[in-house]
Amino acid sequence: MHDGIVTEGLTRLFPGGVGLADLSLEVASGEVLALLGPNGAGKTTTVRLLNGVLRPDRGHARVLGLDPATAGDELRRRTGVLTEHAGLDDRLTARENLHYAARIRGLTGPAVQARIGELLERFGMGERADQPVRGASTGQRKRLGLARSLLHDPEVLFLDEPTSGLDPTATRDVVELIGSLATEHGRTIVLATHFLGEAGRLADRMAVLDRGELVAYGRPGDLAAELWDGLEAEVDLDGPATAEQLDAIAAVAGVHTVEPSPAGAVLSVAGREVLPHVVARLVGTGASVYAAVPRPPTLEDVYFEIEARRAASAGLAPAPDRTGARA
Amino acid sequence: MTRTDWTAVWGVVAKDLRAVVRSKSVVIPMLAVPVLLMVILPGVIGLAARAAPGVQVERLLGDVPGDLARPILDLPVEEQLIVLVNGYLLAPLFLIVPLMVSAVLAADAFAGEKERKTLESLLHSSIRDRDLFVAKFLSAFLPALAVSWLGFLAFVIVANGVAWPVMGRIFVPTRLWGVMILWVAPAVATLGLAVMVRVSARTHTAQEANQLGGAVILPLIFLAVGQSTGLLLVSLPVAVAIGAVIWVLALVLLRGGVKRFTRDALVAQV
Repeated sequence: MHDGIVTEGLTRLFPGGVGLADLSLEVASGEVLALLGPNGAGKTTTVRLLNGVLRPDRGHARVLGLDPATAGDELRRRTGVLTEHAGLDDRLTARENLHYAARIRGLTGPAVQARIGELLERFGMGERADQPVRGASTGQRKRLGLARSLLHDPEVLFLDEPTSGLDPTATRDVVELIGSLATEHGRTIVLATHFLGEAGRLADRMAVLDRGELVAYGRPGDLAAELWDGLEAEVDLDGPATAEQLDAIAAVAGVHTVEPSPAGAVLSVAGREVLPHVVARLVGTGASVYAAVPRPPTLEDVYFEIEARRAASAGLAPAPDRTGARA
Repeated sequence: MTRTDWTAVWGVVAKDLRAVVRSKSVVIPMLAVPVLLMVILPGVIGLAARAAPGVQVERLLGDVPGDLARPILDLPVEEQLIVLVNGYLLAPLFLIVPLMVSAVLAADAFAGEKERKTLESLLHSSIRDRDLFVAKFLSAFLPALAVSWLGFLAFVIVANGVAWPVMGRIFVPTRLWGVMILWVAPAVATLGLAVMVRVSARTHTAQEANQLGGAVILPLIFLAVGQSTGLLLVSLPVAVAIGAVIWVLALVLLRGGVKRFTRDALVAQV
């Protein structure tokens, strides 16, 4: 039995069009999946289908080994969700909101009260625990929403824009928390977000959606390997490389392209094993090499490359260079 | 069929009631109307009727068929007006209370979740669709009944209090009032709720639901007021039958609402 998430041809149609079309993906237990895409791409629909809130028109899903369409009630006992709007009742206090969430999950008693207190402190809401949520900042609401999603210690977390509206410090804290939930506590996390930086830090896999269709899916490294022929690297020469140095680099087997940069040169190579040869050749020309660092593409690079290629294939922009340096 | 999760149901009910109590825009109209209808109006009218002893009510009751007016006409003349006004004519207005309170609270419980953007997180919780419906029903039904019964208690005290110098005895509640309070009022509250469950599915705010619901409920109020004047003058079995008709109508409407109350349908409204 698969403890993570598997979908096959998951499709949901709405009267206005396709909500999600033919989504097939797999997320192992303890992994973080980043759902990326513009507004209306189908991220929220995906979360709703995976948590059994919406029923699919075609295809099926398994989350923690359960079919969300037929065992949604059982599944939702084991999942936690932070919706885009934290969904807190303004008329209740922070503590009351958590207490309410606990009760509708059937959790009562002193242990739950202690857990609520602990979560409020952990998310920096201890001081305003007994004040109405009305008047709380966006960041405080997000933190409280996140605390609520963790109240019952879920095995799978669906987080819809968990850091939108947070200040940089709160963003860092939340990103670190999400990371630790996956790596230290083995939680499977589906992260629907516009923020590529946080997705890049957290995601083991990424799924790019656009108008309900899965445009790209996989590990960022694997997708990068499909998008680019080589690996980008930077050589630090404490100043732009000379023509002689650029020629020396270009002559090394496995170097696809080389261009000068303010610090030295940026090159595209077949793999990281090429770099020692580049360094040796440069040293042979009498150059001082301070560093030679591979720059694997970030999730952000991958996302924008996918978007650029889609725009090019639609005739909206020129095709990007497969072997050229990334933007 | 799975058993109802009462911890979850009462969790939603307790939260809804707590939130409503803190919401002035809901509490004030919800209490103002019962106070007006059940305390101020019977007090003022009772005092006015007391100040005009000996008024002949025979003409007023001339159109009432058969012996239906007999219980009033058999009373001493000085008691007839006060009994007619506070014991019979004001009584129909009482039905507005459960109808209005259940409608206002149902709008807050169903459409209000959408307005406050709390519906989606509720749907992602583990509460079952049916339990959520039961919880939302009770969140509106129980307070409607409580306000109606407490309002009636206040009415009994005021009506008998102002009439005491003339009557020298307690004259409400009567057996027909009992049917009205225990049988017809809950039916009317359920009817208001059933209408609002349907209306709330088509609106995005509690205010919209109240406005749209009002358009449906107001004719019902007029109908109820008109019919229940007769209700108090008819025999006990007929009153019970009329209550049964309202119950059937309310339950048929409610059943339709339950069928549509699924996560899949609800989340489409978010």
